[in-house]
Formats: sequence, structure tokens, C-alpha cells
Amino acid sequence: MRAVRDVSFSIEAGSTFGLLGPNGAGKTTTMRMIVGIYMPDGGSIAWKGAPIDARIRRRFGYLPEERGLYGRMKVREQIAYFGRLHGLVEPDVTARTQRWIDNLELNEYVDRPCGELSKGNQQKVQIACAAVHNPELLVLDEPFTGLDPVNADMLLATLRDLQQNGTTLVLSSHQMWQLEQLCDRFCIITNGENRVSGTLAQLRAAWTTRVIRIEPGGEAVRRVLQTVAGGHPLPSDDGALLYEVPANTELPLILRDLVAVESVTRFEAIEPSLHDIYVRTIEGAA
Amino acid sequence: MNEFITVYSAEIMRRLRSRIFIVGILIGAVGIGALIKLPVYMDSLVGQANRVALAGDAALISQAAPLLRKDYHVVRTIPGKTAVLASDLSDANKISAIIVLRRSGHNVNVIVYARDPGNISVSSLRRDLLPISLQIATGLSRTDLGRAMKVPVTVRAINSKFGTAAQANDARIIAYIMLFSLYILIMINSQLIMSSVAEEKTSRIAEMLVASVNPSALLSGKIAASATLAVIQMIIWIAIGFLLGAHPGAPAALEAADSSRATTFSLSSVSSADLAGFAAFFLLGYLQVSTMFAAVGSLVNRTEDLGALAGPLVIPIVAAFLIAMTALAAPDTPVVIITSFVPLIAPFVMFARIVVSDVPAWQVMLSLAINIAATWGIAVLAGKIYRVGMLLYGRPPKLAQIWSVIRS
Repeated sequence: MRAVRDVSFSIEAGSTFGLLGPNGAGKTTTMRMIVGIYMPDGGSIAWKGAPIDARIRRRFGYLPEERGLYGRMKVREQIAYFGRLHGLVEPDVTARTQRWIDNLELNEYVDRPCGELSKGNQQKVQIACAAVHNPELLVLDEPFTGLDPVNADMLLATLRDLQQNGTTLVLSSHQMWQLEQLCDRFCIITNGENRVSGTLAQLRAAWTTRVIRIEPGGEAVRRVLQTVAGGHPLPSDDGALLYEVPANTELPLILRDLVAVESVTRFEAIEPSLHDIYVRTIEGAA
Repeated sequence: MNEFITVYSAEIMRRLRSRIFIVGILIGAVGIGALIKLPVYMDSLVGQANRVALAGDAALISQAAPLLRKDYHVVRTIPGKTAVLASDLSDANKISAIIVLRRSGHNVNVIVYARDPGNISVSSLRRDLLPISLQIATGLSRTDLGRAMKVPVTVRAINSKFGTAAQANDARIIAYIMLFSLYILIMINSQLIMSSVAEEKTSRIAEMLVASVNPSALLSGKIAASATLAVIQMIIWIAIGFLLGAHPGAPAALEAADSSRATTFSLSSVSSADLAGFAAFFLLGYLQVSTMFAAVGSLVNRTEDLGALAGPLVIPIVAAFLIAMTALAAPDTPVVIITSFVPLIAPFVMFARIVVSDVPAWQVMLSLAINIAATWGIAVLAGKIYRVGMLLYGRPPKLAQIWSVIRS
């Protein structure tokens, strides 16, 4: 079975990239190819213009979707072990291990075997293992899954710190709002192929319709909107009128016509969210 | 190289701290000790069953007592007593039999009153007491009779690496201890490697590991660490074996006829070349088996499945051990010679041949070459299976899938 057919994107150094797609779209396979677990049978993957070899790969970090730790190894040893695997040596490895223990508030568990920790704390240890060596590129497959809101916020803050320190991040997540907060660029893939990619502004610009919200949404307002070519109402549950119109519609002209027939208190053009773009893209690909 | 060293040292530390390692050393030490000391203990048990008293003619008792010591433990003499009652064999005096000796014309008449007649060997009694019977019949003095009965026999070795039967016997005992240690070490440590790999897979840490370190470095680091610890275990066990059983230098303590009661042996029977051969074949055998077990460990999804998959791998090792045992007694039989070149079996069999016979150098070199090549081949195949197997979840792969991975 071919999991990835035609996926192509570039990531700017120091940026944060969101890889989106439904289950089975090929996100994990793409990430595994980036970190060298799978070798692509066609195409190429490069880092800073050079093919990725073992030496470059050591400067990457990876948090897989399937979490796992050595159950009997203590927290501190585990993080330090992954640091050493990525080439850290003393005293760096001890200092960086401690820094991650502090960052992720794991101090009270450092001498406990990882198997005794809660799932959330195990996940924090795994994140520390993936990032202890300050990777140039950190690939995180569904990093927020399984975290409670407090720990999810802590992870979000940690990833922002990494961003500020220049680490390039590649994330996949089904929590769109978190990706929207973190990522500079996105790529949506389905069935192993690129569908759309770019910044949120570019994705929105490519969006073919706009949604406008009008209050109050009386009969006179509806009559005006019915004159807009290609427009149609959307379901609404709060009394306001939601209307979808083509993206090239002159909104000031519509507003002028509306004000002429009704005392409109609210006229808002709603930008499509990442969630909207994602859902529309997936539906379009189906 | 750094990756290898990191994996290697972490594996060493993990294993040293594990209870299984310590318990393994202790169990092995007890096993080696038992192998060496069990015959002594069994002899002592037999000795208890052979506690006898001598009764009857006082002169015959004094002659018979030293002759019977070889097979019986004479704990009491009762000169003049010829009538034996059941109470004489009560539990209190712990005598299993009373042997009554009387002169009867030109012979000696022996009646044994035994608690368990099965413990009394009539043929050994006849053999032991034959000198008394002959002395009475011939009238020869004890000295003359002793001289007449001692037939001078000399064994001269031809085409043998041993000067005497005792040396050959010592070499067999040492080879047996080493082969037993090799077998136990390979079986225990290979299964430990397999469990370790399976643990990494089933705990789902494998994906993070193979993203962090080259799978070949991961696998080789694990196997090298395990081999190092196996060598340490081996040294401890052999040291214990020698401490319990060896006495320095020739002459050897054992007579060939008494080999079943072996408790001590001389180290001089095994040369440094034999030890070098042991080290080389130990290493090759260990690497062949452990890499196979590691590959199999990467294929399981549940640790409960390890036993079923490991079963077929154990068969050649058990076969190798059994053939090696045959090789100790008959090192030049065709089956032994042929199997001493076969990978997985040769490490046991060729080593046994080297210790107990003069194996032509070309055969040793050929076996080494074949097994080095086989070790390399097994490592390459195992590496391929390991790399794919570690990330393969769901249903266990079919043989055809494994074959396609190997071919790719």
C-alpha cells in the first residue's frame, strides 16, 4: 500500500509548520520519512539544501504518535539517555536534562521509574526526551493528545519557547485552535497527496466564499441579500443572520443597501477559521 | 560510534541493575557447583546405603576389611559372631548389612544378612574377596599373591593429544563444564536480548529510538553489551568450577576407571590454544544465536508470544549441545565432523572436538571462516528484520512478508 503519493512542501528555518489531515492521510508516514525512520521510494527530503543523513538526523527530535518509555528507567536517566543518543556529553547532558525537568515541572518524579507516572506526566517525559538536545528541527505527531488543559497549556508555552530559540517545529494535531495559535504555515493532505498549503492568510485568500453576520436579520435584510449573486443563508442558532457570499462580493455595497432598508446594528465579515478551511478541504477531496 | 557506545553502556547498566542478571549468575554458579559436587554427594548417599559390619572369623575379617573398602563402608567388626538376628540390623546402628565370613575347607564362605538385598552386589563381593579365596586355595603369602595378581598394563597414546587416559578424562570434564556454561549462557542471554527488544517494541519506545539512533547501532550495542555480560558470567562460572573442582598441575587425580566419581581435575589438560578456540567459538555462537533472537523479538506484538516464536530457534541449540556431548566421547565420527562446520551447531561441536582430539588446523580454520561468514549473514538478515519488525504493529507478519523484507 502506498501511504504517501505526492506530498511536497518547504518549511522556513525557525518557523512552525502544521501538517493536517484526516486519519490515514499520510501525516505520520510523512513525519517518519522526515526523521529517517522510513526511506521514501521516490522523491527527496532535504534539510537546509542538503539530503538528510545520519549526522543531520541527530540534530532532529521526534515525538511519535505512539508514546512509549522504558518503564523501569527513572525519569532523569531516561531524558539523559536520549540526550546522549543525540550526541550530548557531560556536563551538557546533565544541565539540559535538569532544565527540561524544571520546564515541565517534573522535579518530584525525577527518581521514579517512568512506568509509575500518570499518562500525562509520561507524555511530558517523552517531550523532554525528544527535545533535550535542543534540536534544530522538532517533529511532533499529535503532541497534545492525552494532555489535560493545564498540561496542554504548559506544552504550548514550551513549544513557544522553542520557537523563540529558533527551533523549527513540525506538528500534526486535530486540535485546530492550538495549531492556529502556533503555526506559521500549514499543509493539508488527504490520501497521501497535498491539497492546500501556505500561511493562514494565503489559505483564507484562496477561500472562495465569505460569511457575513448581520444583526438583526429581518425580512428586509434577507430580501437585500437574495439579490447577491451566488449567496445563500447558513443555519444560525443565535438569532443573527449568517450569509455566505462569493469572496469577490463588494461587501461595502451590500452594507450600504442593508442600511438603507433596516437599522443594522452589526455587519461582520467572518474570516474562515483553520477548522473551516480544513473541513472544506477534506470534504472537497472526498 | 558514539551511538553504539551510548546504547552499549546503557544496556550494560540496565542489565547489571536487573535482578535477573544477579539471579542468573547465582543459578549458574549453583548449577556448576552441583555438576562438580553432585557425584561426591551421590557417592556419600551410596556410602550410607553401603554401611556394613563384618562378622565371623577374626583373621578373615582383618583380611577382608581393606579389600571391601572399595565398595563398602565397613563401620563395625564383630569377630566370632556367626548368628545374625533382625535386631542387629536395627535403625539405631545404621548398618545396612552384616557380612559373615567363615572358612569352609579350601575356600571362604560368605553369608550376607542385608536389610535391602538390592544394595548388595554379589559380583563385587566376589571380586573384592577373591584374593582371600585364592590365598586359601594356593597357600601363597599375601605379598606373593598381590604381586601375582598385579598384571602390568601400560597404555601408550598414538595420534592422541593426551599422554595418559587421566589427562584425556580431565579434558573431557573441563570441556563438559565449558560446553554446559556455553549452552546456559547462550540460552539465558539470547532470551534476555529477545525480551529486551520485545519490551522496546511493546512499550512503543521503539519509534523514538530508531528516530534517534541508527537501528544497526541499536541492535549491535544491545548484542555487544549482552555478550560482554555473558563473558563476565562465564568467567565467574568457570572460576567457580575450577575452584570447586580443579587441583593444579599433573598428575591428574582421576583414574579412567573411576571417572564416574570425578570430583577433581587438572587444568594442565587444557591448553591455551583450546581456550582460545573456546573464546572464538563462544563469541561466534553467541552472536549467531543472539542476533536471531533479537530479530524474532522485534516481530512480536505481545511479550506472551515470545515463547512460541523462540521455540523453533531453541531446537538447533539443543541439537548442537547434544551432538557436542557425543563429540566428547567420539570426536571423529562422521556426524560430529560434518556438524562441526555447520553454523549454529559448529560453535559447540568444533570446540568439543578441539578439546578432546587433534583436529587438523585446516578444519578449524575452515569452520571459523564458515561461521564468521554465517555470523555476518545472520547479522545482515536480522538487521533487516529488526528495522522493519520494530515498527510493525498489528497482526504478526507472515513468513512470506518476512522473506520479502529480507529480499528487499
